Amino acid sequence: MTLLAIDGLTLSIGDQALVRDLSLSIAGGERLGLIGESGSGKSLTALAAIGLLPPDIRAEGSILLDGRQVIGAREEDLLPLRGAAVATVFQEPLTALDPLMKVGRQVAEPLARRYRREGKKLDRKALAREVRDLLERVSLPDIDRIVNAYPYEISGGQRQRIAIAMALACRPKLLIADEPTTALDVTTQAEILDLLSDLVRENGMALLFISHDLPVVARVAEKVAVLRRGEVVEQGPVTSVFGAPAHEYTRTLVSAAAAFDKALEPAQ
Amino acid sequence: MTVLAEQQEDSARRTRRSLTLSIGLLLVGLHLAVALLTLVWIPYDPTGMTGGRLEAPSWAHWAGTDRLGRDLFTQIMIGSRIALIVGAGAVAIAAAIGVTLGVLAAFATRYLDDALAATFDILIAFPTLLLAMLVVAATGTASLLSAILALGIAISAIVARLTRILAKRVLAMDYITAARTAGSSWPSIVFRHLLPNIWPTLSVNFALQFGLAVIAEASLSYLGLGAPPPNASWGRLLQEAQGTVYTAPFGAVAPGLALVSLVIGMNLLADGLRDIGDPTRRRSR
Repeated sequence: MTLLAIDGLTLSIGDQALVRDLSLSIAGGERLGLIGESGSGKSLTALAAIGLLPPDIRAEGSILLDGRQVIGAREEDLLPLRGAAVATVFQEPLTALDPLMKVGRQVAEPLARRYRREGKKLDRKALAREVRDLLERVSLPDIDRIVNAYPYEISGGQRQRIAIAMALACRPKLLIADEPTTALDVTTQAEILDLLSDLVRENGMALLFISHDLPVVARVAEKVAVLRRGEVVEQGPVTSVFGAPAHEYTRTLVSAAAAFDKALEPAQ
Repeated sequence: MTVLAEQQEDSARRTRRSLTLSIGLLLVGLHLAVALLTLVWIPYDPTGMTGGRLEAPSWAHWAGTDRLGRDLFTQIMIGSRIALIVGAGAVAIAAAIGVTLGVLAAFATRYLDDALAATFDILIAFPTLLLAMLVVAATGTASLLSAILALGIAISAIVARLTRILAKRVLAMDYITAARTAGSSWPSIVFRHLLPNIWPTLSVNFALQFGLAVIAEASLSYLGLGAPPPNASWGRLLQEAQGTVYTAPFGAVAPGLALVSLVIGMNLLADGLRDIGDPTRRRSR
């Protein structure tokens, strides 16, 4: 079953095309990496998929999210899709959390929405318990402190774990992760990536992973689409695309990553 | 060494800030206490002749008497009540209208937003007093209520413009997009994320506007457009004292001091409030 089917998507501002004739699809449980340099239209594609494009950007083509057309849909028709069908983790973990709301409450909010969606009773205690469960699942330490902390009181990696916990709270069929590790240091990056992969697998979620970083994509995705200047130049399973790149741009990406690995080898 | 110096400077700034807040609270609290006291007790009948005309301050009449022999201190006390009622009423009206319109403009499509923004700018270009006079003229009679309404409407444009700018900045933040992708509805975004995040700045502005409203009310009363007698507004006391300012200066000085102390108190309170609403500026526990 296809969860997200983007077909012939063109995004433009004025008469300038930002994304051209983009097609990709993600089935339930599948993990797709969308890779490309900054400005190639990766994030816009993700925003288009959830119907949150800025108002001055025009979208043509078709986006089917969980079987429903997103392009041209009314806000009130998209609302039930968000959270239930899809949830998002953003790049910058500081700005992605409300600075004036305690962390525990921020996680509780999407959770409470899911309870309502599922017709479950809103029990304060059960809610608080599941918030703690979620924080435990994203491997946060010292939960007693973190539940009552403001975002500025915890580290960048911890904030990103919170953002992931919030996305998990929605229990979406598709998780969109837009450069979720770019703002983090290398060690934290690896931890967050492993966490994301594990959680996606455990919960049987599909994943759309957006990044400019080839090794990162190779680590979490099984399929990959390479985006350049708004166009998909190559797409397929990670092993074949990165193993035998057909397009010149992909080859440069792969050889750059290989050169980097080689440079590291003597040190290992 | 530099770290130590920084820490010292930081703590000095904090002490200064808390001092600001304390003085502000003290001044405003004093006026509030006096205003509440007038509801149950006043030293003299504010309209009765209780002493000689234009008496200088004495133990019996702390601020002297006016040209009809009425006790000035009693009238100033009642003036506190009037000033606080007008200030609070005007700010409440301005907040209700201004925040609603400002948030609406921030959410609106581009054309509606432009139209609303232009309206706010035009309204702000009118002097508050002129706008208030127009409203008083439109309601027909000068009363306490018309003064409150007039100032509230005049200030609402300022609040609306500020709200619109603040709201636009917050709405562009990732956490709003994150909340939307997770299925938050507009009302939930406004009440859970938007309003709490613009409140620290708004509340400071409300306190400042409160002080301005008190001054504007005094001006309206001075012009005879404020609360009519027997409401002893400070503006009216100043106006009445004008004719005798050379022979009996205390008649102008005393209500003037009352007015200035409340406005300064409100401004200091505004400064102090700046730090309370924002947890990132609060001392970490």
